[in-house]
Amino acid sequence: MSSLTLRNIQKRFGRVDVIRGVDLDVADGEFIVFVGPSGCGKSTLLRMVAGLEDITSGELLIGKRVVNEVQPAKRGVAMVFQSYALYPHLNVRDNMGFGLKVRKVVAAEREKRIGEAAALLKLDALLERFPRELSGGQRQRVAIGRAIVGNPDVFLFDEPLSNLDAELRVHMRSEIAALHKRLGNTMIYVTHDQIEAMTLADRIVVLRDGLVEQVGSPRELYERPDNLFVAQFIGSPKMNILPVSSAAALGPAPENAASVGVRPEHLRIVAPGEGAVSGKMAIGEYTGASSLLHVGLDNGETSLVVHEGDAPEPDSPVGLTAAAHHLHFFDQHGRACRKTN
Amino acid sequence: MERKPSTGSAARGSAPWLTLRMREAMEAWLFLSPTLAGFLIFFAGPLVAVVWYSLTEWNLLTQQATFVGLDNYDDALFRNPDFWHVVRNSVVFALGLVPLNMALALMLALALTRRFRGVVFFRTVFFAPVVTSAVAWAIVWKFLLQGEAGFVNQMLAGVGISGPNWLREPDWAMVAVIVTRVIKMVGLNMILYIAALQAIPRDYEAAAQLEGASNWQIFRMIIWPLLGPTTLVIMVITTIGSFKVFDHIYLMTGGGPENGTLVLAFYIYQQGFQFFNVGYASALAMIMFVIVLALTVVQLALRRKDT
Repeated sequence: MSSLTLRNIQKRFGRVDVIRGVDLDVADGEFIVFVGPSGCGKSTLLRMVAGLEDITSGELLIGKRVVNEVQPAKRGVAMVFQSYALYPHLNVRDNMGFGLKVRKVVAAEREKRIGEAAALLKLDALLERFPRELSGGQRQRVAIGRAIVGNPDVFLFDEPLSNLDAELRVHMRSEIAALHKRLGNTMIYVTHDQIEAMTLADRIVVLRDGLVEQVGSPRELYERPDNLFVAQFIGSPKMNILPVSSAAALGPAPENAASVGVRPEHLRIVAPGEGAVSGKMAIGEYTGASSLLHVGLDNGETSLVVHEGDAPEPDSPVGLTAAAHHLHFFDQHGRACRKTN
Repeated sequence: MERKPSTGSAARGSAPWLTLRMREAMEAWLFLSPTLAGFLIFFAGPLVAVVWYSLTEWNLLTQQATFVGLDNYDDALFRNPDFWHVVRNSVVFALGLVPLNMALALMLALALTRRFRGVVFFRTVFFAPVVTSAVAWAIVWKFLLQGEAGFVNQMLAGVGISGPNWLREPDWAMVAVIVTRVIKMVGLNMILYIAALQAIPRDYEAAAQLEGASNWQIFRMIIWPLLGPTTLVIMVITTIGSFKVFDHIYLMTGGGPENGTLVLAFYIYQQGFQFFNVGYASALAMIMFVIVLALTVVQLALRRKDT
């Protein structure tokens, strides 16, 4: 097990800056999730930790050791790939034992470690099968098993669930969480799915254009986003952003506030004229437990509202309101206005 | 005629008694017929003819054919020492060419699937000889491989080696035709290997690298096994090609010196079109067919045993 430190890490491909200076401290045993839209550099950052991409500048420490120039195999990391990268010509046993074999671990020890990992991941019955004979979920488990047998300090996951169907994804997500609990290793997990990020992470690192937008626990990011980008990226459906004047009726806004954000689940439908803003019901999407309402506001914008119970008729006038403590204010640069209270 | 049950088609037109299945079959035959006709006339026909010719004593000039049974085969296999000499030459040619060609093709492919500036240029350079005219290729190499005045020997002399008269000494002539043939044809196998290498996901290499495998281990334990099917195809077509080699021998050495490069396909040509022993040449062609077929079957069997 090991901590991990990134100091002003940068990556340049030719003239393109992909990672533009990332600082991060990962505690021993922590589960960190890199999240961000495609092209934000999250996978590149993970591959730099693995040693599969070199570091243009900055310092990477695993434990107390600077590993910028250390070969991937000697960093004490194991990686689970999005594609699983299982060798198609080797069966499950040989796939899992590959790393031990090339490291010349004796056969008895190899068998023991494969057996332990297989038991942990319920792969015992599949050891003689080839990857093509496995389902997506089983392949995923073999890929994790291959990472486990090497007994790494740090586990790296590169979008490991994105090739699975929705149901299996939820299941594997809980298996990965359980695995982390049992093994207690440091884990870094890349995803573009913010639900995965929210459910798995001790802390989430939100990346955009090669920069860290915010680091914090899922709750911190949801309740106190540092900026408009994080506010809208975390949470689904995404936060409504309105001109600050819209919230005038709900209480005083910070002086420098330019816009106000409110999550769809925090907006309530009230009688026309009674809320902070008024508009016209556009579409109602029934999702079972609740409905997602699209409300066309008088100022021309559209607001999303999570609503329980019967939706108002289309085209009927409605008012919207929210509790003052659910409002997020942002200045003209999109930075959160922290209420100085 | 009994009417087939209707399949409810309003578009049956002028032949309402045909079922959908029959109409589809007719269309299929219609589309197949041009190719099928070509196949029967230009491939199956001659093939049957060769079997027949091989059982006759047939003189091309008098157009007289006499049935002689298996005499031609008996002649080739048991009475004519030339035949075994020629087979030996063909085997030597194949044993020299196939491994050299494949090893070189794989090395080039491994080098030219790396990303570096000019990679497309080098791929083109190594592939260009494949599409070069065999005649031009032979003329240039005959010139380069001349005795003392030849370019190759001049280069060798530059580093203190006295080169042989390449195309005038039987053993060296064989080496020369093998090497020049490899240089001409290696680009084709290189392209096949490049395609196969590019189809191997890069994640395999990354995963193996993370697990501590050296470059050699990655090649031996991951890349080489995954190239297996491609290697088999390349081996089969290169072996067949090497047994069928004709133009290169005809142009470079004419089978000489002292029949040192007289290979099977060229020997068949000589017998059939220079000495007009059509029956004997046909028997030789059948024997060559069996040899190539046997080699292919053996290679396929070895591969199946491997996996």
